Amino acid sequence: MKSVPVTIDLSPFSFLVNTNIPLVVDNLFRIYPDSIVSHGESIKNSKVCSYTVSAISSSGVRKIVKPQARFLCDQKEPFKPLAINQGYALLEWGMNWTVAAMEMQHVITHSAVLARENKAILFPAPPGSGKSTLTAYLVYKNWRLLSDEMALIQPHSNTVYPFVRPICLKNRSIEIAKKWFAADRFSSIAPNTHKGDVIHLSPPDPSWSEHKSPAKICGIVFPKYKAGSELKIYKLTMAEGFMEFASNAFNYGVIGATGFKTISNILEDAPVFEVEYSDLEEVKEFLEEDIIANA
Amino acid sequence: MHDMDANTLIRLFSNPEDALKLSLKEWQLVVLALRHQQLLARYAIRFKDFQVFESLHNYVKHHLINAEIVAEKQTLQVLFEARQLSKQLTKYNAQFIFLKGAGYSLSGHPVGAGRTYSDIDVLTAKEHIENIEKDLTLHGWLPEKMTDYDQKYYRTWAHEIPPMKHAERGTVLDIHHNIVPPVSNRAPDSSVFFNNVELSESGHWTFTKEAMTLHSLVHLFFNEDFKYGFRDLLDLHILMTTNADNTYWSKLVAMAKTSGFTGELYLACRYTQKILNTPVPIEVYRELKPYRSWTMPVLDYIFLRLLSPNHPFFALPGYKLAAFLGFIRGHKLKMPFHILFFHTITKGGKLILEALFGSSLFAKNEITRPK
Repeated sequence: MKSVPVTIDLSPFSFLVNTNIPLVVDNLFRIYPDSIVSHGESIKNSKVCSYTVSAISSSGVRKIVKPQARFLCDQKEPFKPLAINQGYALLEWGMNWTVAAMEMQHVITHSAVLARENKAILFPAPPGSGKSTLTAYLVYKNWRLLSDEMALIQPHSNTVYPFVRPICLKNRSIEIAKKWFAADRFSSIAPNTHKGDVIHLSPPDPSWSEHKSPAKICGIVFPKYKAGSELKIYKLTMAEGFMEFASNAFNYGVIGATGFKTISNILEDAPVFEVEYSDLEEVKEFLEEDIIANA
Repeated sequence: MHDMDANTLIRLFSNPEDALKLSLKEWQLVVLALRHQQLLARYAIRFKDFQVFESLHNYVKHHLINAEIVAEKQTLQVLFEARQLSKQLTKYNAQFIFLKGAGYSLSGHPVGAGRTYSDIDVLTAKEHIENIEKDLTLHGWLPEKMTDYDQKYYRTWAHEIPPMKHAERGTVLDIHHNIVPPVSNRAPDSSVFFNNVELSESGHWTFTKEAMTLHSLVHLFFNEDFKYGFRDLLDLHILMTTNADNTYWSKLVAMAKTSGFTGELYLACRYTQKILNTPVPIEVYRELKPYRSWTMPVLDYIFLRLLSPNHPFFALPGYKLAAFLGFIRGHKLKMPFHILFFHTITKGGKLILEALFGSSLFAKNEITRPK
């Protein structure tokens, strides 16, 4: 396939994606709404985008033997190539990398962001904590997705901007989420990645139609899934919350003082909890009744 | 959209007012090219100096500001690292001279403004290196993983020891004992450089402006990789045009003569002048003329391309051939034939395999994976 440009007109950062992998094109058009994704003619004749990236197949013998997909941010290749059927997941991860590596005008933390009535809760958590399953469940229950991966916080404020993208689900959570959403909202499966089997889920339409509306940060919750566990809620002190939260910031090292002040200010008002759970509905009730209702 | 090439970016530096004539579509490509050359922050400062920054489109300002924030952070970081190093290593009484990017930053010279770099280079006397290397490992600086061949290359032939990386901060430190590899037979008596240093305001040693210029151009013309060729040429341009009086030029020529780098100084004057219109005094040219190489037409072919902006959308025709010739020339300068022969077999074989099987064939498993 010849390389074609696809533009993803996301807010606040848009992408021009060059790709010669049919699977990547199919998934992009399946996941992103028509108002956001479109075919361009060539790099020189398509919409102006914040970032130019590529998802292309490796050349040489790799075209025939174990074909690979490569991600490039313009000319820079931050990762090793992956198998061709992991190409779309690689592109999504590459887009995350691009924003985390380049954007210094937001405080960017590694967390899911979900909101009710423009009251947002941040869910910073390491992989395996069940963050994405919880995210999928909350949007299924009519919460609005701002991001599954990163919170873009306006410096010196408690305002978080959406960066609506698909939710990245892994392994067992794929089957669970398939019960909640129609099949056409899912990407193809990227099998056997370093995170296991991975699928991307397009959030419901309300999240997309509000993809430019900021929300106010009202709480920070570190979710921790534990099979069979009853709901356990721990409130963290400001100091504990700060250490946990700041260690999740992508660009904290670069923006230094701005990041420190912004995060401290947020923690003055927003409570921080650690939540151990096995029942998603119980967590949702806690979030709605104890955080959103009091915000 | 007008046709753009390397000259568009060069003119943008010489006449920053041109920035207001570019369309948004053109800017999209210009931003890519400037980022590719690590020049966004330097151009941001240039646009500010010429009062065009505020009139630029928000799209452009956004990318320029991102780069400025990173550059400002780096200036703070290098100051921090320099203090740490000085503190840890005072006991050796070794003079630690900060080179290239780190030196530019610490010196406070305009060449350091918005200049970004990936590692910190320092120069110190060879007799101290063994102790310093051991000491640094105790302070969290660990040698980067490399093949046995590369290890041997550094230890036997190079002018620096293998790079060390700080385990927590990720900063990379290159410790040099000369400015060119001794194996090249061109390494000067290093006292030429040690005698031309000054203390920065922050209390760290950097080269004087003349020595800084000479080192910068020697480094450039001894290189085999010109990815940042245009940025390096701009470094020279800035050094040669900021308060460059007659004393500066005569000292520079004198130092080049003592250290045997007159040929390189000639090339630097020639290409800054040809590409960036740098005003090099006519007497300097006259004095350097005898050191012109007889291969000048070939060198012109190579360097007029490699020292111009090189993003694929902007590179001048013939860039790839020039890059290949520059690669060969750089190796030939650095190593005598018999060493180059084995080096080529070792490294070239690997390159051929990578060309066939992809660039990550030899990559160690632990290198970056997407989050």
